[in-house]
Amino acid sequence: MANDKLQKKKLYALSSENRQFSFNLPLKHSIKIGKREYDVKLKADEKLGTYILWKNRKYPVEIVKSRQNKYEILFNDISYTFTVETPFSLQRMKVLTAGKGKATTEYVKAPMPGKIIDILVREGSTVQRGEAVVILEAMKMQNEILSPANGTIVKISARPGSNVMKDDLLVEIKP
Amino acid sequence: MKIKRILIANRGEIAIRIMKTARLMKIETVAVKTAAEPNAMYLSYADFIFDNTEDNSEVPVFLDIEKLIAIALQMEANAVHPGYGFLAENAYFAQKCIDNKIIFIGPSPDAIYKMGNKTIARNLALKNKIPMAMGSQGNIANEEEAIKMAEKIGYPVIIKAASGGGGRGMRIVRKKDEMEKMFSIASKEAEKSFNDPSVFIEKYIENPKHIEFQILGDTKGNVIHLGERECSIQRKHQKLLEEAPSSALDDKLRKKMGSMAIQIAKAVNYYSAGTVEFLLDSEKNFYFMEMNTRIQVEHPVTEEITGIDLIEQQIRIANGEALKFRQEDIKLTGWAIECRINAEDVQAGFAPDPGKIESLSMPTDACVRVDTGVQRGSSIVPSYDSMIAKLIVKGKDRKDALKNTKMALDKVWIKGTKTTLPFFRMLVRHPKFQNGTFTTAFIEKDLEKFYYNSEYEEMLAAWLAIKLFVEENLSDDSISVDYKNGKELNPWLLNKRISQF
Repeated sequence: MANDKLQKKKLYALSSENRQFSFNLPLKHSIKIGKREYDVKLKADEKLGTYILWKNRKYPVEIVKSRQNKYEILFNDISYTFTVETPFSLQRMKVLTAGKGKATTEYVKAPMPGKIIDILVREGSTVQRGEAVVILEAMKMQNEILSPANGTIVKISARPGSNVMKDDLLVEIKP
Repeated sequence: MKIKRILIANRGEIAIRIMKTARLMKIETVAVKTAAEPNAMYLSYADFIFDNTEDNSEVPVFLDIEKLIAIALQMEANAVHPGYGFLAENAYFAQKCIDNKIIFIGPSPDAIYKMGNKTIARNLALKNKIPMAMGSQGNIANEEEAIKMAEKIGYPVIIKAASGGGGRGMRIVRKKDEMEKMFSIASKEAEKSFNDPSVFIEKYIENPKHIEFQILGDTKGNVIHLGERECSIQRKHQKLLEEAPSSALDDKLRKKMGSMAIQIAKAVNYYSAGTVEFLLDSEKNFYFMEMNTRIQVEHPVTEEITGIDLIEQQIRIANGEALKFRQEDIKLTGWAIECRINAEDVQAGFAPDPGKIESLSMPTDACVRVDTGVQRGSSIVPSYDSMIAKLIVKGKDRKDALKNTKMALDKVWIKGTKTTLPFFRMLVRHPKFQNGTFTTAFIEKDLEKFYYNSEYEEMLAAWLAIKLFVEENLSDDSISVDYKNGKELNPWLLNKRISQF
């Protein structure tokens, strides 16, 4: 059974910033740091809700989203998004994304719910990174939504006077 | 005591803060129950509750002058405390109270009006030779006039709403071709927020510290200051953390700025608690910015280092009593830091994240004070501000206060909404915050990351994601992944199986 050793039972958690964490299966309730194993305990109680106990400290945890192999975890008030991959699917993903990495469209989304006050660009106009493209009013503040990249406006989905939800698409920019 | 019963024209933590002191002074309180939060925690601190849940008015009751006066009269409250925000700096409301023989716990309508109108306040400061940033004498009518004025005083300039405050209607302009756009944004925002589109222009002081002085004045003409607060940690002019005293001031500068603050307060015969705001540049030049004629959100840090209950003083002054202490009696002891824990998503540009507080636990150490208006089960509703709690931590000096704050932040436990906690955990570890050299530009210029996580937190979160995945998909033997040679499970097939769950 030499192949057993070669093809270890593993799962990977790939973060949205492309950091990779691997865990052997069956999943142990401990993590090795250097030479020591530390217990990880997932617990819940009436007062605190769900938490992880690690090195004698409790950390609040919450599952914000879980869809197929994609998880958004709130750990100690910070949100992390992971996709869980098998060695095979990870390999396949790397092959698929190898050709990418340039000239993809930038999607400017509403960072918070609010009302579109003004659109400062037109389709076809060029913008610089950091230039205001939309003015969004939320909590009585007028917020300038800035372009994330240098490029050309290819599509404007927002309309002045309309209300938008968080993450609604406002503008598409082609770098 | 003339004041027998106070109507609290406010909600949340400040309503509770006022009612706690009133109770100590054996004064009764009336709170208003609203449809937006009928189960709010502040209601449980009141002696009487006025039920306003049936009110269908578009205007929130805390902004409805006629309604509040009617409630005070009906509930036989002979005084009103406005708290902060809402009508706290509305001269007409203060006058209406007086007209109805209700004691307004705050300054005179005249002082509110003069300091509330930034153009009048500027002229007052000018007359009293208070240092100020160069700027327009009056309001600016249009873009052309704005461009002319900006050229005279030199870029960068800041456009401010004449009736403004709290950062709304404020825009910085660095070059001529931005003026048209910024002028229109500032003016529109001013109109929306303050019902007054008029704006003026000032020289913009680059990278200043925000230093404000707490003032107390009585109706006999005595005015003293209770030292300064530093509020340079702000984002888009919204304060996030305040401390008292400031590491930028020594006794000499404190005395100088303090006496200027008293002078400007005296210029409007100020009584009650008030705050004079200054900008301090890197050469220790200071410039008068504005005076806030209300109790401030950050008042606890001053209370912690002076031992004076500011709400009690407001009530006593409104009652007609003379101040019991003189300037030389005021001693600043130790250091206090306040973190505003808001329901905001630090990872999404501090976007408000309203929701229900599922669990809440606060540190109970002696050096910690918590002012809050929520408890487990409370909701942070979109119609009001996003504050969850103010965490106020004391130490014998700044270093000690910082150490205690770091400890306290790790003990705060809030579930149900995202909070600004990760931001403060980062802040207390940042060298520039630790050494006190930060300015109001800190968040925009010095920060690359807005939150702190310890070394292993992301890995632990990853472990949890794997754990969930295993439990959802692989715990049942019938679908367990077979990694053996030649039997590698097709990921698409795996996905299909997962989707059945």
